[in-house]
Amino acid sequence: MVRAVHYLNQFFAGLGGEEAAETPPTRLEGAVGPGRGLAAELQGVEIVATLACGDDYFGEHEEQALASLVELLEAERPGLLVAGPAFGSGRYGHACARFLRTASERLRIPVLAAMHEESPGVGTAEGKVLIVPTAVNVAGMRDALPRMARLAEAVVSGRELGPPEEEGYLPRGFRRNRFAPKPGAERAVDLLLAKLAGEARSEIAGGFDRVPPPAPVPDLSRALLALVTEAGCVPQGNPDRLPTIRAQGWLRYELAGSRSLAAGRYESVHGGFDVKLANEDPNRLVPLDTVSELADEGRLGRVHDVLYTTTGNGTPVASATRFGREIAAELKEAGVEAVLLSGT
Amino acid sequence: MAWELATFPTELMGEAPVLDGVEVEIVPEGAPVRVTHVLDAVEPRIRPDGRAAFPTEGKAGEGRTNRLEGVTVLSCLDFPAEERPLHEQESVVDLAGPGAELTPFAQATNVVLTFHPRGGLGNEELEAWARRTTLSVAEELARPTLEAEPQEVERFELGPADPSLPAVAALVQLSDLGPLYYQYLYGVPAGEAALPRAVDPAEILDGAVTCGEYHWAALRNPTIVFQRNALVRALFREHGRRLRFAGVVLMRGYEQSAEDKRRAAAAAAEAAAGLGADGAIVTTDAGGNSHTDAMLTVRACEAAGVRTTAIVAEMADPDSTSPGLTDWVPEADSIVSAGNAEELVPAWRPGRVLGGGRLLDGSPAEEAGPIPVRNYLGAANQTGQFTLTATSW
Repeated sequence: MVRAVHYLNQFFAGLGGEEAAETPPTRLEGAVGPGRGLAAELQGVEIVATLACGDDYFGEHEEQALASLVELLEAERPGLLVAGPAFGSGRYGHACARFLRTASERLRIPVLAAMHEESPGVGTAEGKVLIVPTAVNVAGMRDALPRMARLAEAVVSGRELGPPEEEGYLPRGFRRNRFAPKPGAERAVDLLLAKLAGEARSEIAGGFDRVPPPAPVPDLSRALLALVTEAGCVPQGNPDRLPTIRAQGWLRYELAGSRSLAAGRYESVHGGFDVKLANEDPNRLVPLDTVSELADEGRLGRVHDVLYTTTGNGTPVASATRFGREIAAELKEAGVEAVLLSGT
Repeated sequence: MAWELATFPTELMGEAPVLDGVEVEIVPEGAPVRVTHVLDAVEPRIRPDGRAAFPTEGKAGEGRTNRLEGVTVLSCLDFPAEERPLHEQESVVDLAGPGAELTPFAQATNVVLTFHPRGGLGNEELEAWARRTTLSVAEELARPTLEAEPQEVERFELGPADPSLPAVAALVQLSDLGPLYYQYLYGVPAGEAALPRAVDPAEILDGAVTCGEYHWAALRNPTIVFQRNALVRALFREHGRRLRFAGVVLMRGYEQSAEDKRRAAAAAAEAAAGLGADGAIVTTDAGGNSHTDAMLTVRACEAAGVRTTAIVAEMADPDSTSPGLTDWVPEADSIVSAGNAEELVPAWRPGRVLGGGRLLDGSPAEEAGPIPVRNYLGAANQTGQFTLTATSW
């Protein structure tokens, strides 16, 4: 029997309506409220405790509420945490998703919530919480509980989940391959004809991470400037084996007062373009010579004596974002105020 | 009785081969074989009128061409690593196991040619020999068809169609990123082929385009994808039914500057508009930089009043909720996913390996572990040839 804990808000836990919305995290023995209906559907899973928290309390003291809830949860040594159904309730849905995300990260246990697909909790979950879609209000309870139970049994079984529409959860956004009934070309014809008839549909959701340009550096003549590149520029021979594609990290090289990247001492190992011209003069990729001159002329403050480099070739956006965050943290630490980022 | 024996100079044979040898293996359907370092896949074709099946002069897509059904020529070459100008990626075809369904063009009889490079020759020379030899072998294999009756004849002709049907063009991107990154139009690299321009759709199906582009294996279009092009065939089939096939515009992928990219995109859109297209399907070859060309073309077409659907492959990490597109414009509101190239294909142990025993990353090909989709030739090709797609889980 897998030990499960169920999370509810004050209302569904029977503690009261809005007047009880300030209730701090509380433990109740066994299954309560909708938990009883859920327990009746579950096979091989027992709801050993119910944790409840007032919606307002959670919203106003989120970190405290999470700390208490996680502590109460750990004490139960659960193998599963379920929450809701929260239906269309925004505060409740958010609390479910936030608590379950945290619990999943800290306790490494499967977590499962239920709410309406437009609940703000879906956004809070960011794909990290399995969510069973429900109706917008409590009228959907009878429909939701058996579906929660089936998915709960599936996740505790440890088997790999099938696609969302088969297993009954909201897509978390992970991209998984399958074979479509028709080749892409025929689907493209269908999509184009639909669009020409006024209905644009897409197999890939729009949206793209566009980075707004930062404010200009207030006074470049006093700024410490760092050179950062994704051009795969490394010391000759690539001593640290920077990959030519799909780099998993970045490297830092001391420039040791150099004023130029000499041919034969630096090279590019980037696998996405012909590096011949770049290797004739590595300053073409990382213009250390030019920025050194600009510093001499007083148009730049100083040049940071460290070069940051990686290979930007087939790098997933998530990895590139991490590289950027890590490099920026070091630069900030070193007091760098301006970065010349050369891309290829 | 008299007999004459005419003598001709050796040069007629063409240049002497510069390879140390070629291994030829005929691999039947479903054999537990993994083929590595695959350059291209070609369907055997020959023309009864004596013109070249993969012409470098004249016009393809006229008269008749014979095809040998159910046979695929796979060419393999391991480039000498130390002088790889660009880092081409491993290219695998599995004829059985979990990866087999990713490369459905190779499921019948496969003629696998493994070229053994002679030392001291450059990659570009080797590649040129391998490519020409592969096309010649494909042509020779089809020769017996000249003495036989066809089992079927398909006719590709754009007859009159109801003018109230929407006119749809295909915008087909051909890569040119320099040596080992060329797709060829009549033997000329895409960048020197005066693109973008409109061509007769049947030219695509009839060997005008051949592949010499060896970057991301899954994202490229091997020659067979043009010969059997599902998009051009679908548009021919739908002509007069749900649409009017306005024609094909070839455009270059990997234009090299922002200005060139914008100019080429605008010119491709203009060519599509010139065909009278109400809508266009925009295809891509390879990835990264060429996706920007595709997206700018989408933008330019929409600005010119030509509505678009694009076909692109995704490069999404398994734990990420981003589709991993290199580029995207808001006008691209209608996209077909050709699959996620980053997904891993479960490990499989083949009975035999052809093409080369080690993958480019050094791992033994028979025990390579899970291989990403990106290494399977043409698996996520972006002309919509296959059914692979990615959905949100």
